[in-house]
Amino acid sequence: MTSRERVEQALAHREPDRVPLDLGGSLITSMHVSSVYKLRQALGLDAPGTPVKVVEPYQMLGEIGADLMDALEVDVAGIGRLTNAYGFRNENWKQWEAFGVPLLVPGDFPTVREPSGELLMYPCADRTAPACARMPRTGFYFDAIVRQDPIDEDHLDPADNTEEFVAISDADVRHLASEVQRLAPSGRAILADFGGMSFGDIAFVPGPTLRHPKGIRDLEQWYMSLVSRPDYVSAVFERQCEIALANLQRIHAAVGDAVTAVLVTGADFGTQEGPLISPRTYRRLFKPFHVRVNEWIHANTGWKTFIHSCGSIWRLLDDIVDAGFDALNPVQTSAEEMDPAALKQRYGDRITFWGGGIDTQHTLPFGSPDEIRAMVAERIAIFGAGGGFVFNPIHNVQAGVPVENLLALYDAVHEFREHAPRGVKE
Amino acid sequence: MSATDQLRNAIVDGIAKEAVKQTELGLEQGIAADVLLADGLMAAMREVGQLFEDKEIYVPEMLVSAHAMKSSLEILRPHLVEADVQASGRVAIGTVEGDLHDIGKNLVAMMLQGSGFEVEDLGVDVYPERFVQAARDGADVIALSALLTTTMPNMLKVVQALRDAGIRDRVRVVVGGAPITQSHCDEIGADGYAKTASSAVRMVQRVLGLATFADGRAAAAS
Repeated sequence: MTSRERVEQALAHREPDRVPLDLGGSLITSMHVSSVYKLRQALGLDAPGTPVKVVEPYQMLGEIGADLMDALEVDVAGIGRLTNAYGFRNENWKQWEAFGVPLLVPGDFPTVREPSGELLMYPCADRTAPACARMPRTGFYFDAIVRQDPIDEDHLDPADNTEEFVAISDADVRHLASEVQRLAPSGRAILADFGGMSFGDIAFVPGPTLRHPKGIRDLEQWYMSLVSRPDYVSAVFERQCEIALANLQRIHAAVGDAVTAVLVTGADFGTQEGPLISPRTYRRLFKPFHVRVNEWIHANTGWKTFIHSCGSIWRLLDDIVDAGFDALNPVQTSAEEMDPAALKQRYGDRITFWGGGIDTQHTLPFGSPDEIRAMVAERIAIFGAGGGFVFNPIHNVQAGVPVENLLALYDAVHEFREHAPRGVKE
Repeated sequence: MSATDQLRNAIVDGIAKEAVKQTELGLEQGIAADVLLADGLMAAMREVGQLFEDKEIYVPEMLVSAHAMKSSLEILRPHLVEADVQASGRVAIGTVEGDLHDIGKNLVAMMLQGSGFEVEDLGVDVYPERFVQAARDGADVIALSALLTTTMPNMLKVVQALRDAGIRDRVRVVVGGAPITQSHCDEIGADGYAKTASSAVRMVQRVLGLATFADGRAAAAS
């Protein structure tokens, strides 16, 4: 069974020969570069001091290279657009050191610290524009700098909040097609992040690629708009959706069905304690667009659809599942009301759990190797039964995880992934 | 309905313009600023907190209410100063070193303001020495926020810095944020932990030995 077949079986809710494993298939199922460095060193993949590439500057994710994928028997590979979250290309690599490890960063990545010790990121690496993100002196990644013009309630224009959503370029389409061609021979399932469909994603609301973001870009103002300016938000999503569907048509014509799953949305709908927004707000503002994207993809392609939402979303899941998603990530079982067995029992026949493999808030960084092993065994037993599970930690593995814990995690995956208890089979 | 009641309703409904209008109207009618604060703003924020804990409202609704409350408070503040109304206590709040996340911290700050506390917001990526300075400047409570597993250890640095400065006994330290738990609070030697913005207010009242809303309800029920 190839990796791709393994993932497809899981998504079809049939038990594959072993639980498929994702590491690095997307920007939310990967690992901080410093942890990738430690893992590669511990696995003997590199000579000491060999730098690791930062393939995603926002969260400072490390490259999960083919050798690391082979070593861990990873089943998923990811593809994305030509430019990163800050609008520049990952090319012209240069050496840098941070977090105590040697790195390679894109040529346009800022490596000179401000007097305060922080790093400032500029949209499209244009230093004549105001900075769009910063990494604190002792931080491990970037966060948005809010650039908000005064809000003129009487002249809010949805076009302002959708400036970053444009027709995909021919070069980008060719890039995606060539990435698919490059990865297909590996036999791995391809998880694609085509961008543009993540309605109301707070990571991108501040407009990190824009030199002068207009509309509502402040995080609190955006959240308040969901209840105080719902018609405006809906009009923003409408424009975004039309552009996204037109782009998907062109992308599908170029890449075909070699892609297994598509990341539709990464907007977070949960907090540690409960939903971030009311079920009513989800139904009113988000669900109609999720339904449209899912229906278009299912009607026109062989792709499966993937939603990421952190936090406690149990109270939203009836609607999220009903919106037609095939896979749910990161399954934050460390949040309230996110019990693995209850999730599997209620939704396991309709949605694939692509995550939930290990608690990255407590157990992975602060637990013992034995606790990690026990949790991996438990999660594979619960989520893996009858298929419908792709193993992934909850969100990206962060910096500062002891290397023995990283090894314990993947040793346990290796140990237990072929032993999912026999669940419901066709 | 009195201006105070209408002010309370406007804040619960999150309508800033109406809250401002009713605050001005109440003052014009000669209602004392501390009465508008207690029966308007504080009563509204207690109701909002309870609705949030009961999952009847969520973060966006809570934010619009908190902003409406702040709009009203800005009008009331000079009147409160003039009438020499004392705050329930002084809280210095910030997101710890290395962490830039502030929506939760801002909500807690606004809930505290809406509960009669004087709040000094130190912002994000705040280093231990800045918290020590705030304690020296007279804060009764140091409130620490962190969203990240990578920055929650920095809370311990603040507690240690207060100890090193010899002023740990003078202030209460309270902690909150997504990865924070009661056991983390106990481990680092903080005085209180709260899961939500509204329970944070009760917890701050408790560590200062003030009567809490929940205590009041329990007393009323008994």
